[in-house]
Amino acid sequence: MLEFYKASQNEKFQYIIVDNTGTIKESDNGIFSIDNHKRLQEVHPFFEIFTELLVIPNETYEFSCINLNFETQNLVVDISVKTQDNSSIVIIENLTKHYNNYQLAAQGRNESIINSQIIELKNEYLLEKEKFKNNFIANFSHELRNPLTASLIFGNLLSESALNAEQKGYLNIIKSANSDLKQKIEDILDIAKIESGKLALNTSVFSLKAMLQDIVTQHKTLATNKQLEFVSNFDTKLPEFAEGDAYRIKQIFDSLLANAIDFTNSGRISLHVSLNYTRAQKANLQVKVIDTGCGIAPKHHDTIFERFMKIEPDAQSHNGSGLGLAIVKYLITEMGGTIRLDSSLNEGSTFTCNFNVKISSYNSSLKHELLDKQTPERSEKQHILLLEDSELMQLTLLKILAATGQFYVSIISKGEDLISNIIDKDVDLILSSNTIQGFSIADLTTAIRSLPREYKKTPVIALSTEAYKQDIKRFKKAGVTDVIIKPFDEQTLLERINKALK
Amino acid sequence: MSRPKKIVLIGHFGVGKTSLIRRFVENTFTKDYKVTIGVHISKKEIHIKGDTPLTLVIWDLEGLDDITKMRTSYLLGTNGFIYVFDLSRPVTYENLEAELEYLKTNYPNTPTKVVGNKMDLVNKAFIEENNGIFTPFVDYYVSAKLGSRVETLFTKLAEALI
Ligand SMILES: Nc1nc2c(ncn2[C@@H]2O[C@H](COP(=O)(O)OP(=O)(O)O)[C@@H](O)[C@H]2O)c(=O)[nH]1
Ligand SMILES: [Mg+2]
Repeated sequence: MLEFYKASQNEKFQYIIVDNTGTIKESDNGIFSIDNHKRLQEVHPFFEIFTELLVIPNETYEFSCINLNFETQNLVVDISVKTQDNSSIVIIENLTKHYNNYQLAAQGRNESIINSQIIELKNEYLLEKEKFKNNFIANFSHELRNPLTASLIFGNLLSESALNAEQKGYLNIIKSANSDLKQKIEDILDIAKIESGKLALNTSVFSLKAMLQDIVTQHKTLATNKQLEFVSNFDTKLPEFAEGDAYRIKQIFDSLLANAIDFTNSGRISLHVSLNYTRAQKANLQVKVIDTGCGIAPKHHDTIFERFMKIEPDAQSHNGSGLGLAIVKYLITEMGGTIRLDSSLNEGSTFTCNFNVKISSYNSSLKHELLDKQTPERSEKQHILLLEDSELMQLTLLKILAATGQFYVSIISKGEDLISNIIDKDVDLILSSNTIQGFSIADLTTAIRSLPREYKKTPVIALSTEAYKQDIKRFKKAGVTDVIIKPFDEQTLLERINKALK
Repeated sequence: MSRPKKIVLIGHFGVGKTSLIRRFVENTFTKDYKVTIGVHISKKEIHIKGDTPLTLVIWDLEGLDDITKMRTSYLLGTNGFIYVFDLSRPVTYENLEAELEYLKTNYPNTPTKVVGNKMDLVNKAFIEENNGIFTPFVDYYVSAKLGSRVETLFTKLAEALI
């Protein structure tokens, strides 16, 4: 019994005596057999370093976890060496089993670490791709703004000229296609902004009453055109003035109502706005948009607010890129609210949402501003200097400005001519594209603001394809008076020019 | 004939140290990964400048993510280092400068070649983008898989040893 254990223990160690060149003098061959008179260096390349170690006497070296691969077996061993003057002892301990277990554990651990790093890398790669997509969409949409602006404005100008009934019909189709296109570009830009985290709310005081009236007028016309009844119902407790992102709040109403009108062929569209509660100067509004249209099957309710989702993809008659509801949902969430859909197929739909606005106390200056919006009477014509390098845009703007009889316009197309023109001519207002070749509107404005006193205060309006908040901020910081985003309509343009001239 | 030279490969696990040695010694490659524990030692005779034969004893160390934890007994009598990192995994070259500094202080006058392996997984643009990180340190961009510049790497290091 004991002998057996001793024997098995013997297989664990091998003792070798070598001279100081590495030549084997004695080996008990406990683990593997080696011939005497051979040099250890020839047994395995590990022992090559012995050439240097063995010549220094009275040293001890310990090597752990050495893989010794022989033709017949692979061993993993610990090796210790004690050197002496002429002969040294080498002790090899066979720990193959022990180290193989350790190898298995390390294998699992290292593999999973490497895999997780590869996944991280993939994620980074996906994010890069996503960023590229969003930038691409944003840039491309900007490219569409100039031609679209021209198309919108000339469409409107054309409708004021003498046309026969057939021509008027065609023009209406063009105009409606234009405004569709405008909406879609705006939606795509919004989605790109949402996805890149750049869509921020701009809070200001606005008249909720006036906004709701606008909304009713606008959508009632659209509904009536489709022979639909339009009813609205507003809670008398609604605050008159509120603080919030008016543009985005109107977008929520517009989007829900446009959808309702679009998907309804007969019956009625209803809009209800009520006050849920007020708490800590915040009003929680509830908006219900009810239609009697084709309805939405329950299985779609979960996904309808997702990007690029559209019910009945083959329904040719329906507008909407399917982005509208995703944007609405995002905006409402940002405003601390929720949106819900109740609908079943062929029974109409009800969208119910609520969101917060801040209650603003009565604000007389704002009311003043709202009343004062009309074109002021002017005794003499004002001089507008237009800096724009696109001929199409020059023509478009000239048409609008000239039609008012209120302005005379000089046009330049090079940034370097701007300052001399301001000084030579008596300019009341500068209207400039933000993309003049070789110049940025911010730099040009900075230059104007450092002119002598009689010129430096000239208002500058930028016509911009950049709709991002940080760009607008940058322009304003440089001293730009106002920024009008392309595409714009003539009414907006004139209103903003008059405001800047005051 | 001069004495055999001991070359030690170091770097994080999975960067391709074992694969580079396999490529150099046996001219083979496998995409399977077998974790090295402890050390494997192999030998190859080469011919350098003007046909001088030289034996290289190549130590393939277990990969570590901290160079200072290396078993120092493995490094006794080292003549040259090859420091390997994996171009496709930033963690393996995040501390490149510090690790090389550590080698330089603890093993001064030991010729060292620094290589970015798995060149086949990245493109030129990637290398250019990371110019600032790589260029000051890297001697060769190699691929054990394709065998590119593996021979050059070992030969140039060997030449620096005599
Ligand atoms: N694509 C590619 N994979 C490689 C290359 N070199 C090594 N690998 C793979 O990377 C993994 C780790 O290689 P290995 O040599 O064991 O790395 P070590 O831990 O540094 O010894 C294995 O799956 C190899 O197949 C290379 O040049 N290109
Ligand atoms: Mg290895």
